Amino acid sequence: MSTAPTALAAPPHARGAATAPPARRGRARRRRPYDEVPRWQIWVPLGLYLLFTLIPFYWMLLFALRPAGSTSLVPWPMTFEHFDKVWTERSFATFFQNSMLVGAATLVMTTGVALAGGYALARFDFRIKKVFLLGLLCSQFIPGALMLVPLFEIFRSLQMINSLGSVVIAETVFQLPLSLILISTFIKNVPYALEEAAWVDGCGRFRAFCAVVLPLLRPGLIAVGSFAFVHSWNHFLFALMFLSEQDKQTIPVGLNTLIGADSVDLGALAAGGVIAAVPVVIVFAFIQRWLITGFSAGAVKG
Amino acid sequence: MTMTTPLRAAAALCLAGSLTLTAAACGDDGSTGGGSEGEGAGSITFWDNNGGVRTPVWKEIIADFEKAHPDIDVEYVPIPINDVQSKYDTAIAGGGLPDVGGVTTSYLANMVAQDALEPVGGRIEDGSLKGVLAESMTESVRAAGGRGDEMYSVPTSANNGTLWYRTDLFEDAGLAPPTTWDAFHDAAEKLTDKEDNAFGYTIRGGEGSIAQALDAMYGQSGITEFWDGEETTVNAPENVAALEKYAGLYGDVTPEADVNNDFVKMVAQFDNGDIGMLSHNLGSYQDHLKAFGEGGFAGLPQPSGPGGKRVQVSNPVDGLGLFKSSDNKGAAWKFIEFAAAHEANSAWNESAAQIPANSEAAQDAWVKESARDNGAFASLTDGSTEIVQLPYYLPDWNNISKTDNEPAFQKVLLGEMSAKEFLDAMAEQLNEARAEWQEQQ
Repeated sequence: MSTAPTALAAPPHARGAATAPPARRGRARRRRPYDEVPRWQIWVPLGLYLLFTLIPFYWMLLFALRPAGSTSLVPWPMTFEHFDKVWTERSFATFFQNSMLVGAATLVMTTGVALAGGYALARFDFRIKKVFLLGLLCSQFIPGALMLVPLFEIFRSLQMINSLGSVVIAETVFQLPLSLILISTFIKNVPYALEEAAWVDGCGRFRAFCAVVLPLLRPGLIAVGSFAFVHSWNHFLFALMFLSEQDKQTIPVGLNTLIGADSVDLGALAAGGVIAAVPVVIVFAFIQRWLITGFSAGAVKG
Repeated sequence: MTMTTPLRAAAALCLAGSLTLTAAACGDDGSTGGGSEGEGAGSITFWDNNGGVRTPVWKEIIADFEKAHPDIDVEYVPIPINDVQSKYDTAIAGGGLPDVGGVTTSYLANMVAQDALEPVGGRIEDGSLKGVLAESMTESVRAAGGRGDEMYSVPTSANNGTLWYRTDLFEDAGLAPPTTWDAFHDAAEKLTDKEDNAFGYTIRGGEGSIAQALDAMYGQSGITEFWDGEETTVNAPENVAALEKYAGLYGDVTPEADVNNDFVKMVAQFDNGDIGMLSHNLGSYQDHLKAFGEGGFAGLPQPSGPGGKRVQVSNPVDGLGLFKSSDNKGAAWKFIEFAAAHEANSAWNESAAQIPANSEAAQDAWVKESARDNGAFASLTDGSTEIVQLPYYLPDWNNISKTDNEPAFQKVLLGEMSAKEFLDAMAEQLNEARAEWQEQQ
């Protein structure tokens, strides 16, 4: 008598566990589509695609690491003279620092403003919400080049020409529409009841947002932040137009100055390209996992 | 589906915003005007229109200038060559032009038309540059400005088209240097071995292809004038035949990838492969030197055409412009005078492997050595070459010689368009642009 209640109280999935594995019993395991495709049909196209993608990188490394005038297809003997040249003679140390500052500031400003604006769009209904969203979408169709002169005049009147701040503001402005839409989608996916529960427990709206919503937005914030950083890191036009002092210029402008009217130092250009690519590769290597989660959350559940 | 009122309002707002922005982008706040002589001291800004590559030599010149004029500071700004026109255009429209800037004749007319540059003819006459600038270059600057005899930049250097060839490949094949167009075509054919990935020539099919095609075309046809009365000569039958022959090189004696060649790819191909000849200019000398070393290559002027006559098109002349908006024109002019004087002009041109505009600098030993080693260095000024003056003064020239016709020239190379169709279309654009320019005069 004493054992029966115990057996009945056991959770359903534990019942019969001692006799046989339940998953294999009764019917054949369902085959997934992945198993039906021969492995080579997956790996060969992937390998070819990888090769296609990596050859330009190899070519860049080859030119950056082999001595000037060499036609060898392997970077041997290896030299770092081109890196030394661009880093010291061509001021890439300064350009790198400036690009880092612009990238980091754009990331912080874009993410911060998008977070606040995205929360408002996700949680509040206001009179011109649809109009505002439409405006955000429409702003995506305005090319940066069209805004150049108005932005130039605004920054000039604010005495911000030749200041990295002008580039940060311009980059943030252009990043914000998409970032706002993305972040608001992420916030909509966080159940409102969680925040309400926090309010019941005594939190104010801001504290509830920080304690409950923010941790759940990590994939979205990483996706938005990384795109803001990478975009501002690579963007050439605003830095070229708004910065007219050599010690304020950024990596993309510096790279372009390596191409002369009649001659180009391919070794230096390749070394500059490697320096420009490294931070982007590192950023993507670190955030890859979060980025995929972020995009799938934003795309599917929106 | 119908739009709700707020959505309609938003769409209207967006449209109005876009139009306002467009209007603002096209507008001019008149910032190019004004300016003053200043006190002849203080700080000036100099935009280098070929920034980066020429940065070290400019920094040396600026250091020397500041030593000679301790009361003037020069702020050096390197601008990438590919974007210098947009940078100038934005600054002309929005303000923020420098005091001094590098300006070549290829876009001088555009800047003069926007009233951005100060006339400098009077300053040259009254200063130390009087009589020392090469006459051929001052003429080019006058013509390119399109405002009669007035000069809007001080010429500092000129480039010249050069036929670079690999001496080792020519010796191995038992070929003489290609001094005539017949010898050029013969060598291109004999040096080509497609199975071995060896080619006689690399053609420019991408960005910058038109000027090079015109050079080869006029060089082979022997026509020496760009205009015959009111009409251009680009589609003259001799030119059509010459262009057909030039475009026929593509694929037969050149790599197939040449259809997308800009000068960077073209020079890189020549320096890193088995290609016998390359048409470029004096400026790529250092690249070839790094690739092949002394003696591994040589430069020739444009090959001679019918009757032994050598004809080539004009190359842009580089110079320094004084901007109208400068508040320190006195100090800015001192810098221009210093940079165009004998010592600085010689140093700059030796570094850039170009032809000095300062006639005293043109007598320096390095210039004579360069002219001895490479006939292209001397052919521009020794009277051996007839120059077809390209119409840099037409405000539409840059569009016609670049964006409007480069894709069409690729079609000619690929056999999708005939040379005659291409040249007829280009001639029509040129004739229209000239008529429009004449109306504005």
